[in-house]
Amino acid sequence: MTEITKDPRVIIFFAAVIASLLILAPMPGDGGLQTRLKYGLDLEGGSWLQLKLQGAIVQPQLDPIKILEKQFGDALNRPVEVEWRQGSTEYTIVVEGRATKAQVDDLGYPQSTVTPRGNATRITISASPVGVMMNYLQTSLDSDVKYLGPDPLSFEIRSNVTRESLEEILAVVGGTLAPGDAGFSEGVTEETVDETKQILDRKLNRLGLADIKVRVVDNKFILIDLAGVTVTDAQDIVGKPGIFEIRIQTTANESIHVLYGGEIVDVSLPTGDQSGNWGVPFTLSEEGALAFQKAAIDTGATRNRMDHEVSMHLDNELIFSAPLAPDLAASLEVAPLRSMVAQVGSDSQRAHDLYIHLREGALPVNVEIIGSGQVTAALGDQFKKQVFIAGVLAMLAAGLMVFLRYRNPKIVVPMVATSFSEVLMMLAVAALLNWQLDLAAIAGLIVVIGTGIDHLVIITDELLYEGKMPSGKVYLARLSSAFGIIMAAAATTIVAMLPLFGMGFGAFKSFALITIAGVLIGVFIARPAYGRIVGKIMQAGQ
Amino acid sequence: MDPETFISKYEPKKMVAISLAVLAVALAILGFTYLKTGSPVNLGVEFTGGTIITVPVVESEGEITAKLAGYPVLDIREVGHRFMIQLGPMDDAEYRELSAMIDAEYQDPEIKYMGPVYSKRLQEQAKTYIPLSFLFMAVVVFLIFRTPFVSMTVILAAFSDIVIAAACMTLAGVDLSLGTVAALLMLIGYSVDSNILLNNRVLKRKGRTEEKVLGAFKTGIAMTSTTLSAVFALFLVSAFSYLVSSSFTQINILFDISIVLIFGLLAGLMNTWVMNSNALRWYLARPKKAGARRHKR
Repeated sequence: MTEITKDPRVIIFFAAVIASLLILAPMPGDGGLQTRLKYGLDLEGGSWLQLKLQGAIVQPQLDPIKILEKQFGDALNRPVEVEWRQGSTEYTIVVEGRATKAQVDDLGYPQSTVTPRGNATRITISASPVGVMMNYLQTSLDSDVKYLGPDPLSFEIRSNVTRESLEEILAVVGGTLAPGDAGFSEGVTEETVDETKQILDRKLNRLGLADIKVRVVDNKFILIDLAGVTVTDAQDIVGKPGIFEIRIQTTANESIHVLYGGEIVDVSLPTGDQSGNWGVPFTLSEEGALAFQKAAIDTGATRNRMDHEVSMHLDNELIFSAPLAPDLAASLEVAPLRSMVAQVGSDSQRAHDLYIHLREGALPVNVEIIGSGQVTAALGDQFKKQVFIAGVLAMLAAGLMVFLRYRNPKIVVPMVATSFSEVLMMLAVAALLNWQLDLAAIAGLIVVIGTGIDHLVIITDELLYEGKMPSGKVYLARLSSAFGIIMAAAATTIVAMLPLFGMGFGAFKSFALITIAGVLIGVFIARPAYGRIVGKIMQAGQ
Repeated sequence: MDPETFISKYEPKKMVAISLAVLAVALAILGFTYLKTGSPVNLGVEFTGGTIITVPVVESEGEITAKLAGYPVLDIREVGHRFMIQLGPMDDAEYRELSAMIDAEYQDPEIKYMGPVYSKRLQEQAKTYIPLSFLFMAVVVFLIFRTPFVSMTVILAAFSDIVIAAACMTLAGVDLSLGTVAALLMLIGYSVDSNILLNNRVLKRKGRTEEKVLGAFKTGIAMTSTTLSAVFALFLVSAFSYLVSSSFTQINILFDISIVLIFGLLAGLMNTWVMNSNALRWYLARPKKAGARRHKR
């Protein structure tokens, strides 16, 4: 029996078992002894959301002049003439009769001049060709649109839109979409996915939720796991924007309410000027602008701006505070102002954070909840107990079966011990690689107990083919024949499990992982050692 | 009947024919379901979209039905101390209202909502992945055996296992869920091991075919019985443990996995020991002349 302890297969096996025990040994942690095993939401309690980011990346072919003809023609109810010089960022629209600046503002071209000239009116708007196209897409789709680049001209549409509906909208102004997937592909850019993910991360962090997992799948799905939160709360957190408020300081420690986020009609991406000062431009509604002006005058901020800072709060948390700019203070004395810039200084990251906050933590794209669910912690505990019982029963039942077949403790004991060691090693691998053990994983584990013993039966029966344990060359030949069968079964199982990694956002990934891990551990660590050990034990007895 | 008679007494062709007949019946069941519903097996809520809620039984079925009036309830069933409520499509607001109500009214509710985007995607994935998985397995089997006849019998047996398991699902009223798909994929992988054992023993060893088949049969039965007993333990706990303790309940996902594996393992016994063992007996006993002629062609 001495040589068996030198057999590398046996040494590796025992080393692996000892390592597994060390990995799985409960360690003192917060709240008593803890193992390193991590459980999935369905055993731990919590909820999950599966979100689809709605949007499309499109390459339209559009003529800005036709767009303006249509927009102004419809708004003013008569034909207009549009003039544009190649390379200019100004368009001039000439129309019979009179037009007001408000009408132009309503079309979304705030920087304009309206000059009456004889019987006609000359409207000059400051907009680039891309700006006009974006304006058209935004207003006709009622959605945010992001310009992606000129070559080829492409935009990201941040809401649910179909190719057909977009083509219809483009056709009105004589535009088309580039053919094929290049012209229209569902999904959003990586940056937008990232931005959405960041906003979600921040929101959840602000709520102090521990143990959040936000994952992105296929660049258009975001999966969120929230431990210890009901699904109702989870949906509220994701779906509802935060409460954004602007206040103006009255005395050192007090401030008055000016307006809520609802009065902010538009927030633009942060911009930096030449000297590296970053700011976030935003636009107030008319009522918002009036309220802002009134508060600024009432508090004295327009005259003594340094003592009456304007502050911004998201969910009652102060996120920005600064005095009015001198020129802004002066203008507010005279008239309400709709467009403002929140200056943050040289920190571009802060500007970006403020941008997100100004959007009330709203997500940049529309999201659709495509799946959700919850298991409470108490129910999860119940499941844990039940699957533990199932595991023990499975092991006992399989053990009983091999006992009925062999009725020889020299075979049955090593067999059951090997099977148990495989379970230990699988759990250790799961703990080491931070896999979450959920119900599916445990189902996989229990099934692997059954199939693992079934492979031990193959080894045993191959070895005992003549009714007794052979030795020397015959023993080795039998062993390799047994392994031929096992390897083949292992290979087919592994390839058959592969699809589960992708299905249903990986809901059964854990099942596939644990099964594959079990198969590999069995084939490469436990079963080779079992072959050696049972061989020795049986030969010794003969 | 002792194993020896079972293995050697019957005419191989007849036994193969019986197995193929069972396969044909199973295929007919799937075909019938397909004609009726547009899918070979009944799709569970994960594949159709909808909501499943389970809550502890604290009131009569009538009372809970009344509470849920106004929601698109499809089915309310009592499963092990809990009501399982299945609901059809709802809009976002309706679902929020419902989940808030359930969270407020019941202790430890379990809620699962699968929207149409999710379920449509899942259907497409299942349609691609299950055949793909089967194809991978077939390639591996071909690589292992390299003999067309033997490979084909092993692959046919695996195919038959899955088809019969799927047909049994229909008969037993088990819907296709992620759990049952996982179990079917597992069957694809495991259905081959007893067949490989059989072929190895019969083709690579010397001796009388019937004796070799008998030896393989004894091992094969022991193998399947160990797996079956472990899976059966899983089945018992997931389906019936609520009878033992009032705090226990049915665990659908484990029930789905275990019941499909049981169907498949039983089908596997037939396909290996009734169909393939006899196919092998016939293959080895066939007139050598015929074999030679075929090779020349």
